[in-house]
Amino acid sequence: MPLVPYTGPFGRAQLLHLLRRSLFGATPADLAHFDGLSLDAVIDELLTFTNDTAPPVKSYAVGGDPNALDPSVPFGTTWVDTPRDPPDDTDVIQARLVSWAAWWMRQLTGQQRNLREKLTLFWHDHMPTQLGVVFHSEASYRMQQLLRTQCGGNFRQLIHDVTVEPAMLIYLNGRYNVSFAPDENYGRELFELFTCGHGSGYTEGDVQAAARVLTGWGIQEDIDGTPILPQTIFRPLFHTATDKQFSAFFNNTVITGQSGADAGEVELNALLDMIMAQEACSLSICRALYRFFVHGDIAPEVETDVIQPLAELFRQEQSAPDQIRTVLRALLTSTHFFSDDVIGCMVKSPADLVIGDIRMFGFPLPDTALNEADLQVHLEFYWLVSYAGQTLAEPPNVAGWPAYYLHPAYDRLWLDTATFPARNNALLGLIYSTIETPSDTVLPASADLSFRTDLVAFTQELQNPSNPNALIDQLVELMYVHPISPAVKQQLKQAYLLFGQTNDIYWSDAYELYVADPNTTSMTAQLVPDILRWLVGDMQKAAERHLY
Amino acid sequence: MRRRSFIRSLSAASVGGFAVRGFGNPMLGPLLDRAAEDRVLVIVQLYGGNDGLNTVIPLDQYGNLSSVRSNVLIPEGQVLPLQGLGGATGLHPSMSGMRSLWDSGKLSIVQGVGYPDPDFSHFRSTDIWETGANSDELLDSGWTGRYLHQEYPNYPLGFPNETMPDPLAIRIGAPVTIGLQHLGVAMGASIYNTQDGLDLTGNAFTDPVTMDCKGSALDFARQVQRQADLYGDVIEGAAQPGCNLSSLYPIGSQPGAELANALKIVAQLICGGLKTKIYWVSMDGFDTHAQQVVGGSPTLGAHADLLQGLSDSVHAFQDDLQLLGIDDRVLGMTFSEFGRRIKSNASVGTDHGTAAPLFLFGSQVIPGMVGNNPDIPADVTYETNLPMQHDFRSVYAGVLRDWFCLEPTEVDEVLLDTYVPLALVDPAGCMGTSVHDLNQEAGNSLLEVFPNPFVENTTVRFDSSGGRVVLQVFDAAGQVVRKLVNQELPVGQHTVVCDLSDQPAGSYFCRLQMGTKQQVKSMVKVR
Repeated sequence: MPLVPYTGPFGRAQLLHLLRRSLFGATPADLAHFDGLSLDAVIDELLTFTNDTAPPVKSYAVGGDPNALDPSVPFGTTWVDTPRDPPDDTDVIQARLVSWAAWWMRQLTGQQRNLREKLTLFWHDHMPTQLGVVFHSEASYRMQQLLRTQCGGNFRQLIHDVTVEPAMLIYLNGRYNVSFAPDENYGRELFELFTCGHGSGYTEGDVQAAARVLTGWGIQEDIDGTPILPQTIFRPLFHTATDKQFSAFFNNTVITGQSGADAGEVELNALLDMIMAQEACSLSICRALYRFFVHGDIAPEVETDVIQPLAELFRQEQSAPDQIRTVLRALLTSTHFFSDDVIGCMVKSPADLVIGDIRMFGFPLPDTALNEADLQVHLEFYWLVSYAGQTLAEPPNVAGWPAYYLHPAYDRLWLDTATFPARNNALLGLIYSTIETPSDTVLPASADLSFRTDLVAFTQELQNPSNPNALIDQLVELMYVHPISPAVKQQLKQAYLLFGQTNDIYWSDAYELYVADPNTTSMTAQLVPDILRWLVGDMQKAAERHLY
Repeated sequence: MRRRSFIRSLSAASVGGFAVRGFGNPMLGPLLDRAAEDRVLVIVQLYGGNDGLNTVIPLDQYGNLSSVRSNVLIPEGQVLPLQGLGGATGLHPSMSGMRSLWDSGKLSIVQGVGYPDPDFSHFRSTDIWETGANSDELLDSGWTGRYLHQEYPNYPLGFPNETMPDPLAIRIGAPVTIGLQHLGVAMGASIYNTQDGLDLTGNAFTDPVTMDCKGSALDFARQVQRQADLYGDVIEGAAQPGCNLSSLYPIGSQPGAELANALKIVAQLICGGLKTKIYWVSMDGFDTHAQQVVGGSPTLGAHADLLQGLSDSVHAFQDDLQLLGIDDRVLGMTFSEFGRRIKSNASVGTDHGTAAPLFLFGSQVIPGMVGNNPDIPADVTYETNLPMQHDFRSVYAGVLRDWFCLEPTEVDEVLLDTYVPLALVDPAGCMGTSVHDLNQEAGNSLLEVFPNPFVENTTVRFDSSGGRVVLQVFDAAGQVVRKLVNQELPVGQHTVVCDLSDQPAGSYFCRLQMGTKQQVKSMVKVR
């Protein structure tokens, strides 16, 4: 029985819900863009994307000298195609990793109106590699581009490519998994985390057999001593050529041992065929998607009414190049997704919380041509998300972030007495704080710049902001899923927009005066930017802010 | 590095209550000195611009007044004359409560308070009064915000702490506005009072949760928020129902019940032992452009109710403080963003004006009137306004110098300029310098422990200011497991190795004491 599609009204509330879960935050411009479109039209657009990113560029320098670090890469050009020479210069690795992390943030803050970045983050959580463990800038960049390119595609293809990708071979020791000393690390996580799921029925013997299937893969990083970009290689001499017997869970499959140059590839494909033939894999992936996009805990009726039909669809589409898109479409257009069991019930991840606000309030982003400014600003954003409780590229371990798997709290794990103040501070910081670039930049245009949220500009994207009631209503609609009573709105309006008075005209006059001329000599009108900062700053403190 | 500076600037943007979590080690209990002698200022803000001429009525100019504002003026015989002023000045007939305070020497009236080049905008003038700015400048800090910053320069880093475990200031019933802010940092906590009790959500978002999935999620988030707010804990702990003894507070639908509610909480919290220095409460509705009085019965109406509410609440509050035996620690002050026009309008109201009187109340005020009755010219037009007699910053300066006992240079620093302080409060009772010094150091980190966590031993580093130093280590049960130092040490930095290799893994506390200064740092032994 397929997933029940949503046929109810698709208005602003539903649109906001869909956008908040699909994008990072929903901006007034996003709402205007999708205004009046049907659910199908919106989901079509959200699922239309390719990986059209331009790679990160070298924007790091030392004391204004662009050649002090990583001299073989000209300033302002990309480093991703240039092997590091010497390869173990940690300053260069560090600089490139920082460049990559900031670049990733830019893809998030500057995201297009589609699911690409959310899905990339999903796969990063589902099949993680950790930046600090891998410690290889080109490999980390490549791995993420692999995820970004294939994030909506075919799962089997994705897991195949990830298995032999250099970053994963480093992270889970695949490159050290050899016939005379098999290393089970990847084999175990492949079953436990990436495909079938813990407790689905595979045995220790299966893990060991999988490890033997995967022996022989390696990474080449130099040719006769000259560094090259990491290449995946297969070494037949290090591969176990015997047959691999699997348990009854896998229908007692035997993967015939191969030798020769294509042994690794042939056996890997046999292994993946064997895994995909199990329902467990489809159920596990669908549950993972559900926990990321919809809700943490899966109630028994959700398991039967949502997960099982979704998994059936997943299996039906298992050869389709757009399998994940198809599955996600069914999930995000289901009745369940738009039900009261879902809307407003999830704690925002730190990424959603922080990046959502950066986008929604329109925190100014430097022109990418000012690459050092771009790096500075996005590095601050990266640390802000980390401060709020989620260090991108550094999940706590190979299982990803606990909010996506740890029963019974799931997404509530993002919120505790340590993270709540940090998240609160982060939200306030995005309203109050200024990010500045240093003076000693390579490009003078990047020096001594200031970036700060302009709330007056933000209000001008709204309807009739000089009417204090309309302004409060729209802020409430954008900032919260939960309804806010007229009494609370009145309190906010009076305390902030009316400065303690009771007449709406006080706000309208001041606001219109300021907007007409920001250099107005009216001291009252000059208060307008501060008033908005105080109002929004207070609204940031609501517990409602942390849910979506 | 850039990261740290941004995160520090974030902490500065945080609001009171989300400071770094301290450790609730019960052994710190007896070390906390909660017998606070600290003084408290209660600010009562009147929103809208109070009509001073109908509040403190210059009976000696009655003739001139009646020729320009007869439709709102209080009948001469109904004004409550203030004794000792030769019958020249009286209060609005609603203000019998404050007249009692005058009679018992607990009220001071400062006439003609304003500032040069007055601004007639509510927003701007309120902003000026709260920040202490000149009329042509915008400031990003409040006068009390700057005072609290001067008193507790480390705030919010390292707060709450043993010296100051409580909010520095509390705003009741509204958010913390610019008056209590310092460069983006809210120097006070905000609480919303209900008839039934304190609402410690700390913000305006107090709608009840719905009985569904999103309601349950919101409930969870609010619980975490409340648990994270340590100031919520201390406020809740201090709010003692037994700490309201006066029966005079207006209640229910009586005028002033809302202000009375707020002042009751203030009394409770002071009685309950909070060291909070400033409480800020307010009343709105003073913008009486129309129907200021009931036509034909000028002793009745909107303004009369407001003044009655103010007077009754303040009188009850003072009564309460006296019954609780804490009245010598509290000074109250009213203010409004401006007064109102001398000449009334045709809507039986008055429009925005300039200078006006304000009140100070408490057992330590210098009772009486400061300044003179305003001079009402014979030829008042609609545009005529009262000239200022006193700059409001002189009122602030008097409070800072004689109530909070700041040095003149410190007063100037808070007010950003030199203003002649008015003698408003008996200066004899300034607090001891040792408390002031302690406040200055509050939040300073006296000792460092590294590595932390550690496996077998760790190093303690501290700065000695000379004299006897005690350095001990306690386990989680409060037992002393190490006596590292107990001797006189020369001034300067010292390091001591703390070897706990024979101790089980777990939490320990390293305590440093030097004279009156002491600090405790937690440390964790692992494996």
